Amino acid sequence: MKKLTLLALSTVAMAAISASAAFADDFKIGLSNGWVGSEWRTQMIEEAQAAAAAWKDKGHNVEVVVQSANVDVPGQIAHIRNFIAEGVDAIIINPNSPTAFDPVFAQAKEAGILVISTDAEVSSPDAVYVGIDQTAWGAAGAEWLAKTLNGKGNVVAINGVAGHPANEMRVAGYRSVFAKYPDIKLVNEVNANWDQAQGQQAMQNLLATNPDINGVWVQDGMAAGAWKSIMDAGKKDQIAATGEIRKDFIDIWTADKLNSGATVNPPGVMASALNVAVLMLQGRELKEPANKGQYGNAMYLPIPFIDSSNLADAAKQLEGKPGYYSYTSALSIADAEALFK
Amino acid sequence: MVDAVAKAPRQAGGIRRFIERYPFVPALVIMLVLLALNGIWQPRSVSLVGITGLVKTYLALMLLAVAQTYVVYAGDIDLSAGAIVSLVNVVIVAFMAAMGGSAFSVIGAMAIGLGVGLACGIVNGIVVAAFRLQAIVATFATSIFFTGLALYVMPVAGTPAPATFWRTFGARYFEIPFVFYAAVLLAVILSLLARTRLSLQLLAVGDDAQGAYQSGLPVTAIRIRGYALCGLFAALAAFCVTGDTASGDPLVGGKMTLFSVAAVVLGGSALAGGYGTVVGSVFGALIIGLINSLVYFVGTPSEWQNLVQGLAILVALVAGILIGRRARA
Repeated sequence: MKKLTLLALSTVAMAAISASAAFADDFKIGLSNGWVGSEWRTQMIEEAQAAAAAWKDKGHNVEVVVQSANVDVPGQIAHIRNFIAEGVDAIIINPNSPTAFDPVFAQAKEAGILVISTDAEVSSPDAVYVGIDQTAWGAAGAEWLAKTLNGKGNVVAINGVAGHPANEMRVAGYRSVFAKYPDIKLVNEVNANWDQAQGQQAMQNLLATNPDINGVWVQDGMAAGAWKSIMDAGKKDQIAATGEIRKDFIDIWTADKLNSGATVNPPGVMASALNVAVLMLQGRELKEPANKGQYGNAMYLPIPFIDSSNLADAAKQLEGKPGYYSYTSALSIADAEALFK
Repeated sequence: MVDAVAKAPRQAGGIRRFIERYPFVPALVIMLVLLALNGIWQPRSVSLVGITGLVKTYLALMLLAVAQTYVVYAGDIDLSAGAIVSLVNVVIVAFMAAMGGSAFSVIGAMAIGLGVGLACGIVNGIVVAAFRLQAIVATFATSIFFTGLALYVMPVAGTPAPATFWRTFGARYFEIPFVFYAAVLLAVILSLLARTRLSLQLLAVGDDAQGAYQSGLPVTAIRIRGYALCGLFAALAAFCVTGDTASGDPLVGGKMTLFSVAAVVLGGSALAGGYGTVVGSVFGALIIGLINSLVYFVGTPSEWQNLVQGLAILVALVAGILIGRRARA
């Protein structure tokens, strides 16, 4: 009798172990990207796929399925519905809208799917944001600029698309920093729609109207354009300006010894989000709950910064990569594990 | 219509006459084939949950394709249909947000939304039919104008719609999802509209405007009514978009315009006018939706998804035209 009970118990235990092993080993994660306008997005997806492959070495099968196409908001909602129909374990999305996904995310959660947004925050209480704080991103560049100028001088700002959520947060970030430095004057702010050519044009106009500029706060790819205008005007030694993270620009920065500093919005955010997602799927709990940001569902990643002190390291990471390749960083599996209990 | 009558005595085969009478049949066949393919590659996509998701996502496009069909009947086109969707979307969301999101404000907003859609349609009708501008250029211009209005009402995407609104759209009553009731209601309205004189008059104008005029039909008024109907259905499409996205976005409908035209053609209607059905356009919209999901379910690599979608829609168009032409030849 005793033997029989033991046998029964061990069978149950074995069944339980194999069941939990099957559960822990295999995860299917859907990645949705709704805009294919820049290499940054392509790199984002490739890094996430590489991160999933890295789990294999740890004995976990993480399969990623990707939907990436130029779609409108209803089109990206269709992405999510396809993932739900397929029965994925988690969805990681770079969303086309901050608010439009509330209903479909609610539906995904109902189906037992973990939803993580990255790169742009979403209002849905059924999703978690894993990415950088765009406000802090804007502030970091401004802080560098203010320190480089010793807290004194005329500064202009070149922004992205007016009204875009990330742009508004970045603008709020630099304004809050410059407000702390009474001798820094923000003399002009213009929009150049995150376009390199428009950034170059805007900088030309700014140099013409404000010849006494000391500093420029400019975002992303527009920085390469703005720096081109600064160099064409022969002012590269009088002006400090923020930079960007693509190899082409890092090379010019190194060669011409520009007085620049770049806040990094790494394409690795989706890879970081994937590592967090896998740990969440394993049932692990975050040390600090994801409750930050304006929607109370954000978990912010550290924001790297490139300036003259570590420019050589950045250049080394990008060595041999194509010119459009961005400097990147992502939470490794170990980094991500450190965030969990 | 005249063609159909003229060619009938040639005594074509049974199938030929059948397709002549029901021009949406090729679209129905293509849709069923695509549905089966979806089911083979991803069995769960044809479950109740999968079909509900499909209808929920593409109900707006179905309505917009219907809207487009009424102007195409008369040989016109409406490139502002998507812009009307955007405008109605932001107007009703802004109104509901301003009124606090009560049940009363939701009904008020929908009444206002229908009014806005109707007004946009009448504007289009007047520019095209009364001022006699080319429909394709005139409605392209009004689309920019309507988008401008939408951006004025709501410069930035993101104002949330009240929960009562989108929870209703996603709800179930007696175990059946709300969108199915909406689809049935749509079918009833369409079959009633198909029996009205207006549908026949639009087709007559599209078939031969000169002949219609000479037989005493008020051609200008009929075309304006077609655009008005288009505006009303675009407003209904906007309600669905709002229900599914729960927020206002001044650019949400932009990309839907050409999809609605494609759906009409996939559905077997002639862009030249005078021949077609609204049911076919509904199938056409579903064909587009099924292609989009099938491209993903068969495992197309992400960098090829846009390309394969485009090719697949092209193939469906060619298939539909070949079936239809063989039947009518």
